[in-house]
Amino acid sequence: MMHRLFQRRPRAAPVTPGGAVLAVRMAGSMPPGCIGVAVDGAGHTRRLAAGARSTLAPGEYAWCFHPGPYQLLLTPFLAAPEMGLQLSVVVDSPDPLAGQQRFDLYLASEGDQAVGVAGFQAALDAALQRELAQGGLALPPCTQLDEWHAFRSGLNELLYMRFGVTVDECIPVDLAGQVDYAALLAQRAVADVQVMTPAAVAAPAPAPVPVPVAPGPDSAALRRLFLELPPVAARLRLLDIAAFARQRALLQRFELASLAVLTMPALALAAPGQPLAPSLQLRRTRHAWRAVAALDEAWALLARAGRSEEDILLDDAERIAANLEDALAARRAVPLEAT
Amino acid sequence: MTPLPDRASCRCLLADGRVATVTATRRPRAGRADVKCSGVPALAGAMQQVVRLARHTEARSDSRDQVVLSIDIDPGTRDWEFAAVLADRMVRGLYRASEPVCANGWSDHWQFGRIDGHVIPASPSTAATMLGGPDAGAIAHLGALTGQPDVADVVSSARAWFPLHSGGINDSLGWVEVSVFPLAAFDAGDDAIAVPGLDVTRQLAVRQVLLGSRDFDRCAPGRWRTTVRFAQPRFQGHSYELALVMADRLARGREYVARGRMIATGMSSAWHAGQVETVEGMAPKCALIAASATDGDRILLPQAWQAMLPPGFVDQVRASGATVACVGQIGMF
Repeated sequence: MMHRLFQRRPRAAPVTPGGAVLAVRMAGSMPPGCIGVAVDGAGHTRRLAAGARSTLAPGEYAWCFHPGPYQLLLTPFLAAPEMGLQLSVVVDSPDPLAGQQRFDLYLASEGDQAVGVAGFQAALDAALQRELAQGGLALPPCTQLDEWHAFRSGLNELLYMRFGVTVDECIPVDLAGQVDYAALLAQRAVADVQVMTPAAVAAPAPAPVPVPVAPGPDSAALRRLFLELPPVAARLRLLDIAAFARQRALLQRFELASLAVLTMPALALAAPGQPLAPSLQLRRTRHAWRAVAALDEAWALLARAGRSEEDILLDDAERIAANLEDALAARRAVPLEAT
Repeated sequence: MTPLPDRASCRCLLADGRVATVTATRRPRAGRADVKCSGVPALAGAMQQVVRLARHTEARSDSRDQVVLSIDIDPGTRDWEFAAVLADRMVRGLYRASEPVCANGWSDHWQFGRIDGHVIPASPSTAATMLGGPDAGAIAHLGALTGQPDVADVVSSARAWFPLHSGGINDSLGWVEVSVFPLAAFDAGDDAIAVPGLDVTRQLAVRQVLLGSRDFDRCAPGRWRTTVRFAQPRFQGHSYELALVMADRLARGREYVARGRMIATGMSSAWHAGQVETVEGMAPKCALIAASATDGDRILLPQAWQAMLPPGFVDQVRASGATVACVGQIGMF
């Protein structure tokens, strides 16, 4: 034990947030210009005083992030890679009315060791693309000025609600110089040559369906659900909704979902002492990520709550709650047969 | 928003001339399975799997409803698969058709929305049938139902619709499909635009329009091999031009994508400047568009129509979930 204590640990080169990295887990003192966030074991966060030497309670760990601005390039549609949006985002000064800053929650629930700008941009891209595909935001062909303004304010609200960042600037850019769609298609052609089989004349017997993969580990999905469902329910409670009974029923469903996450059975166990087959573990992981997709939709719903009609809003919230319950129940269930 | 139907059906043509009907019924789920199929167990199991896989391509999942599917005749082939997918979408309001739909097609890649082919051969008797597969004029991808390009395919093809006005009961929306494939060498110039099925003067007109609008885009010449197809090649006038240009821009990844279909009418004498000019027949075309617009559609009209649109047109279109814009210029703002 002793010799390990005095051994010098190999140290990675210190990464300072602000350039290609948005936030890192902090080991020593805070770099200048950065803001510190302490996260405890239960996911509660508090801001650390700038410049001061961080004092962490046992079980806490610290993040530090640079507020930016960061230049991001989003692609709103997969089918239109030559049309982009140039964004400049900052992590704004903390909102004094909020108990927990949304960006702190993002770090606590989704941050791993470091949040790179590239990964953050991909996450923003996915959120924007999903919202456009579902119709919460609209960026139609030949966008008119009023439609653009509506999109801009919707985008601001979405990114603030989901990631806690403020959009400073958003400009549509033509990426024709950087992205060559023709070359992308030609690459697909090369990749497809190996996969393509000669077209069958009559339909053959159905081919076996490939097993889809989960977008991440089960524990990351459950951590997000555990940390983010209560704040979602709290914000849902604050919405100004006239239909009191429906809102109350919704809140109950979200609280039951939180409870289901809290008491979720372990991934690897079918029953105490009985291991679960890996294929069934994968299935459980996929269901956990299905629940996370519903959670993301709930954040997007909160972002558009101010400009949506109450009836449509409640209907969508009930759909999300139903999806969440369905996915959580499937994650909890012990599947009978292996795929 | 129009209310959802409780029941929808989609037909499927069999090789011996009979017609099978897939019926989908929607009911509150209450903890039961999301898709249920009744009938012969093997066929029902296959149908459930097809429908579940095809649902992976939808942006918005809703687990509140159970859809029960059944087919009245055992078709013997896999041609019913497309009809089952369409019936499942129709009963949930994701695909709305004004007239009864007949569809044939099968696929091993429903989870990507790709349709691999159809069993019955294409013939004059299948003219009214929606065929799935990579053939000309067939639907190779579920996104093609609303004209969107397949984001995993080598050939990028997009559709746009335009009103065909013939002065009465035969008014309908026709589509134009533009498929582009990258050219290896920058040498083909204008000759890489093919318009099968049209006479020479019209082919020349289509080529001029495309070259003009690509010039507006500053698209390098000789970059694409292009095929243009029309739903029905016999029509008069130039009001298809805006739809053609928009489909071309969509296929080349140069335009934002609408959630639903793109419905456009307009022409131009100066596509190289991106201008959109007015066309005739506003009242019947607006009536046709308003009647057929569904959720997510994008409607583009010439700027000159803005002041004289029929009263209630914009409200009616908005109520059905579509958006409308009168444009004087293609591109943003």
